[in-house]
Amino acid sequence: MTGFFTALRGSAYVYPIVLSMHMIGLAFFGGMVLMTDMRLLGLTMRKRSVAEVVDLFRIPKRWGLLLIVTCGILLAGSKAEEYYYNAFFRTKLILLGAVLVHELVFRRGVYANPAALDRTPTVPASAKLAAALSLLLWTSIACCGRGIGYIEPPLDKIHAEIHLVQDAALAALRGPNLLKGEDH
Amino acid sequence: MLITNPLNSSALAFPILECFHIVGFALSIGTIAIVDFSLLGVGMRRPAQLAQDTWLWTLGGLVLMLFSGLLLFSSDPDMYYLNWPFLIKMVFFVAAVIFHYTVHRKTVASDIPPPNGKLVACVSLALWAGVIFGGIFIGFVYPGLSLGRG
Repeated sequence: MTGFFTALRGSAYVYPIVLSMHMIGLAFFGGMVLMTDMRLLGLTMRKRSVAEVVDLFRIPKRWGLLLIVTCGILLAGSKAEEYYYNAFFRTKLILLGAVLVHELVFRRGVYANPAALDRTPTVPASAKLAAALSLLLWTSIACCGRGIGYIEPPLDKIHAEIHLVQDAALAALRGPNLLKGEDH
Repeated sequence: MLITNPLNSSALAFPILECFHIVGFALSIGTIAIVDFSLLGVGMRRPAQLAQDTWLWTLGGLVLMLFSGLLLFSSDPDMYYLNWPFLIKMVFFVAAVIFHYTVHRKTVASDIPPPNGKLVACVSLALWAGVIFGGIFIGFVYPGLSLGRG
C-alpha cells in the first residue's frame, strides 16, 4: 500500500491527472448537489416536483461521490505526511464529518422521503435548512480543498520526525552493542 | 511595472477568486454534464426539459467562471501566456462554449433524442473534461516546460 502511494507521488504526471479526475468528479457531483439543494430552496427546476428532482439525482450523485472520494483518497494517501499538518486538510476532514452528521440528521426526514415534501404547499422549513446547510458545507469543503495547496508542508518538522523514528530504530538495533560498549 | 494590479497586493485575493472559479465551474459544467448524461440515457430522462430547467444556471456558472478566470489571469498574464496547459485549456474552452451554444443546444432542443445525441454528449463531456485537465495542469508546469511539484 505504501509502495503504491509512493509510486503515485513519484510520478510527475499521475498526481495532476488524479487531481483533474477529482475536479471532474467535483463538477458532476457538485453540480447535482447544487441543483438538488436549490430545488429544495425553491430556486430552480420549479416545474418539477421536489420528489422528482431528488430522485433524479440520487443515483448519479452516488457515482459522482464514488469518483471524487476514490481520487481524494489517492491524493491524500500520496502526500499523507504533508497533509497531516495541513490546517485546510484537517478542516476539510472535519467538514466531511459534519456532512455525515448532516446525512444522519436529515436523511429520514428530507432526502429519503421527498414525496412527503410535495404534499405541503411550500417546502417545509426543515428541508430548506437541510438544503442551506448542505450548500454551505459542500462549498466550504471545495474551498478548503483549494486551500490545501496554499499551505507549505513543514518539511523540517516532517524530516525531524523521520529522523527520530530512524534513530529509535537504529538504537533498538544497536541496543545490546551500546550496552556492551558502556561496560568497558 | 507602471501599473500594479491591486489583486497582487493581497495574498488572499487569488485563492478567494479561485473558490469562485470552482463554484462557477461546478455550476456550469455540472449542469451541462447532467444534460449530457440524460442524452446518453444514464440515470435521467427527458434531456430537452432538463436543459430548459438548467440553462440559466449553466449561463450563470459560465459567467462566474469566466469573470473570475479573467481576474485570475490578470494576476500574471506573462506566466499564463507561456504556460502550455493554459493555452490548451483556452482552446478547449472556446471550442466547448461554441459547441455548447450551437450543436449541443440544437441537439438538446428536440424532444425526441436525435440519433447523434450520444455522440454530441460525448464530445461535450470530452471538451469540458479537457478544460478541467488544462486548468489543473497550469499549476504543475513551470515556464520552460519542466514539470515541477507533484
